[in-house]
Amino acid sequence: MERWNRKLHFYSGLFLIFFLWLFAFSGLLLNHPTWTFHEHWKNRKETNYERAIAAPGPDAVGDLDQAHDIMRQLGIEGDILWTTTRTDPGLLEFQVRRPGHFFFIKANWTQGSATVRQADVNLWGIAKFLHVFSGNVADDPRNRRDWTLTYLWAYSMDGVAAGLIFMVLSSVYMWLQLPKKRWTGAIALGLGCLSCGLFCLGLRWLF
Amino acid sequence: MKGRFYRFTRDLHLYFGLFISPFVLVFSVSVFFFVHSWTPKLVAETAATRVVSSLNLPTDLPKLSGRPLVDALKPILESMNVPGEIGFIQRRVETLIIPVSIPGRATSVSIDLARREATIVTRETGLADALMTLHKSPGGHGQTIRMNWFAMKAWGWFADATAYLTLFISVSGIYLWYMLRAERRIGFLLLVAGTLTFLGIAYAVSH
Repeated sequence: MERWNRKLHFYSGLFLIFFLWLFAFSGLLLNHPTWTFHEHWKNRKETNYERAIAAPGPDAVGDLDQAHDIMRQLGIEGDILWTTTRTDPGLLEFQVRRPGHFFFIKANWTQGSATVRQADVNLWGIAKFLHVFSGNVADDPRNRRDWTLTYLWAYSMDGVAAGLIFMVLSSVYMWLQLPKKRWTGAIALGLGCLSCGLFCLGLRWLF
Repeated sequence: MKGRFYRFTRDLHLYFGLFISPFVLVFSVSVFFFVHSWTPKLVAETAATRVVSSLNLPTDLPKLSGRPLVDALKPILESMNVPGEIGFIQRRVETLIIPVSIPGRATSVSIDLARREATIVTRETGLADALMTLHKSPGGHGQTIRMNWFAMKAWGWFADATAYLTLFISVSGIYLWYMLRAERRIGFLLLVAGTLTFLGIAYAVSH
């Protein structure tokens, strides 16, 4: 048990190392928007174009199906983000996003055309977007992930989180097997639990 | 010398790992809530409403915005016993709507400027919501107004420390694994497998 726990601890660490670096590093970038070196939106490359489109087929009844039909015609892939409420049945306005690329689409099939504003961002932008890319928008049931690769990335994030939880628990188990380090380790873990607990539970109790 | 460096690195890996383990759990567990737009409630959410009248409001309050507005509101909120981090303030005719948060508690303060009266709605949102609030903080949005409460400013330091220590622990972990000759082969295979998995998925979602 002890041997396998130790082995699995560093095996999972080695397997997850790049995921870990991505989330730790992009977490720092997200927490420090004033660090100018990772500016991505100001440095984006934009292209605008207009394409002829056909009206979505009779199978495409809802907004999502119609948006997928338009994306297929335009050769665009990604996760749809609804930002406006539809008022005209002949018009459909939506965004398509995937890490590094943002498409702002206005489709008008009464005119038979779609205008696309495409914004491509740099590697910093990709790293930060990967950190938050789940396809879901909190408290907005209309914006749910709808792209296969969003599911893949979202489940990868689940996997990384589960792996980290395992690594934490396995490290505590390993520490408990070291009698000489029991007290010093307890101080380190205790300080961590106290400071973290203060924010998770204590602030509500104190204020 | 090599043995001393190894032992020193191993001790730092252990103690720093134990210290950040509760923080890593906060970030990891809340990943599931974000990815699946799910906020489990262990106890029912409670809400309380109260009204405070005869507020002493500065005359230039309606003209202020951004950080000066937040700074002007702080003593007013303090006088009403509403501590916490002030979020994006909405303006409606003669009314300011101020969200104030403490991890696990969301307060909405509506100040009627003409009547000098505030309606305060306090919701106890629970532990899962607290973890999500902490995971998102400080975050990339509202950099001019965020971290306006000392406790959340302190959390920002701990969040940064978690990221830096995670990077240290991952690098020291690679060193500690590499020193175990018997585990090099399988460890290397897992490192390559993890790297290819990460690069493969990241490439697929961003291209």
